[in-house]
Amino acid sequence: MGKNFAGSRNSGYNQLAAGLVIALAMSACNSTEQGHLKEVTGHLPDLSFSLSSDEGQPVTAKTYEGKVLLMYFGFTHCREECPISMARLTRVMHLLGEDADRAHILFVTVDPTRDGPGELRRYLTQFDLEQAIGLTGTPDEIGALAKRYRNAFRPHFPPGGDGGLMHGDAVYIFDTQGRARLLATSADSEETLAEDLRDLLPS
Amino acid sequence: MEWFYWLVPWEESTLVVAATGSAALFFLRGCALVRPSLHRKLCFWGGLSLVYLVSHTQLDYYSEHQFFIHRLQHLALHHLGPFLIVLSRPCPVLLRGMPSRMRQAFHLMAGWKSIQYPVQALCNPVVSVVLFSTLIGFWLLPSIHFTAMIDWRLYRVMNWSMFLSGLIFWGLVLTPGPVVGVKLSPGSRIGMMLAIIPPQIVIGALIFFTSHELYPIYTICGRAIGGINALADQQIGGIILWIHGAMMSAVGILVVILRELMLAEYPKHGEKVA
Repeated sequence: MGKNFAGSRNSGYNQLAAGLVIALAMSACNSTEQGHLKEVTGHLPDLSFSLSSDEGQPVTAKTYEGKVLLMYFGFTHCREECPISMARLTRVMHLLGEDADRAHILFVTVDPTRDGPGELRRYLTQFDLEQAIGLTGTPDEIGALAKRYRNAFRPHFPPGGDGGLMHGDAVYIFDTQGRARLLATSADSEETLAEDLRDLLPS
Repeated sequence: MEWFYWLVPWEESTLVVAATGSAALFFLRGCALVRPSLHRKLCFWGGLSLVYLVSHTQLDYYSEHQFFIHRLQHLALHHLGPFLIVLSRPCPVLLRGMPSRMRQAFHLMAGWKSIQYPVQALCNPVVSVVLFSTLIGFWLLPSIHFTAMIDWRLYRVMNWSMFLSGLIFWGLVLTPGPVVGVKLSPGSRIGMMLAIIPPQIVIGALIFFTSHELYPIYTICGRAIGGINALADQQIGGIILWIHGAMMSAVGILVVILRELMLAEYPKHGEKVA
């Protein structure tokens, strides 16, 4: 039979040991860094898009160069997450005080068939927010941007229904050069967001 | 034509197309010369198309945005796909099917020390068992999983590493003869398949019993299927690893036992079974 593999019994123990190490590592990794947003530098691509603003103007990532950008995917008919998220971002902007002029919020609609520039403008004026713009485009354009940032949205199969669209609660944060730097979620406090945004602003 | 849309790749990968395309082409050409049995052909095409479908169609969208579907994808990439491909004993067919120059290059490369050493190391039974199990745990570490799901390059490395480690492992335990000079007794093969069970059960159970969200990336970037909350998604994913992952070992052990029984009963034809 030739040289047989004699270590089969040992490998069982090895595996058990490896399993335990993995288990320990997994439990150790649960606690994420407190008080800071998720760092995504180098993992997500630089900001790039070509859409229509809520004033009907064509805009690209270049339009907002020099500002720290907060990109959020939402839609105006959303009853739960979007209003809460936008209210949170409004508070973050207030916390930033004067620095808020150097930051801008991009509200990208994932419901482009219903959200035209007018709807987006009306929606955003509800919030006490100067530094926000709504972005819309064709389903394919929105789909390409959502895919670029791994947001769950398929242009040809929107999981329809009124207010039944699904979307993540991510706020993608880009530095003044358009590089993806941070990923904020609804679990992060407004204070943390403001603090981490300040670090991105050139002094 | 809506069904056709499902076959459109969610994210195009030249490597996946080139690898599956050439494997399919070589196997087709090889079939004309070697004439393998029908069940070998079925196993090969089943395995190859499964691996292709889960990695290069709209299904990939769901794997990126739903944890339990991601686990199903890895079940196909790490277990079922390579398992079926190996069961078809494709190497002689593929070698016959490839252009003669390519075959010569393969034979030439097989003699290089710089190729021999890493191949022998990867095909060492202990290494393959450790690699097979550790990779599952590694990609499921919450911080690693988070990064792998947002970085498309890492995502591809993850899927390829799962497929290749699966191919090596199942190749070693299920190929009847020696592989790269490694001869394994049926007992060792069964031992190896038993050895990968405990880690999968432990990791699967850990995920299942964790009462908080281990993988928030799916909530952050949005889930593909509505109506399933984060914990339910996580628990289904845990169960898939816990039960279905470990179950593939049982199937593999049955294959080895069946082959041994047939060899004892019909020494001449036993090799052809399973």
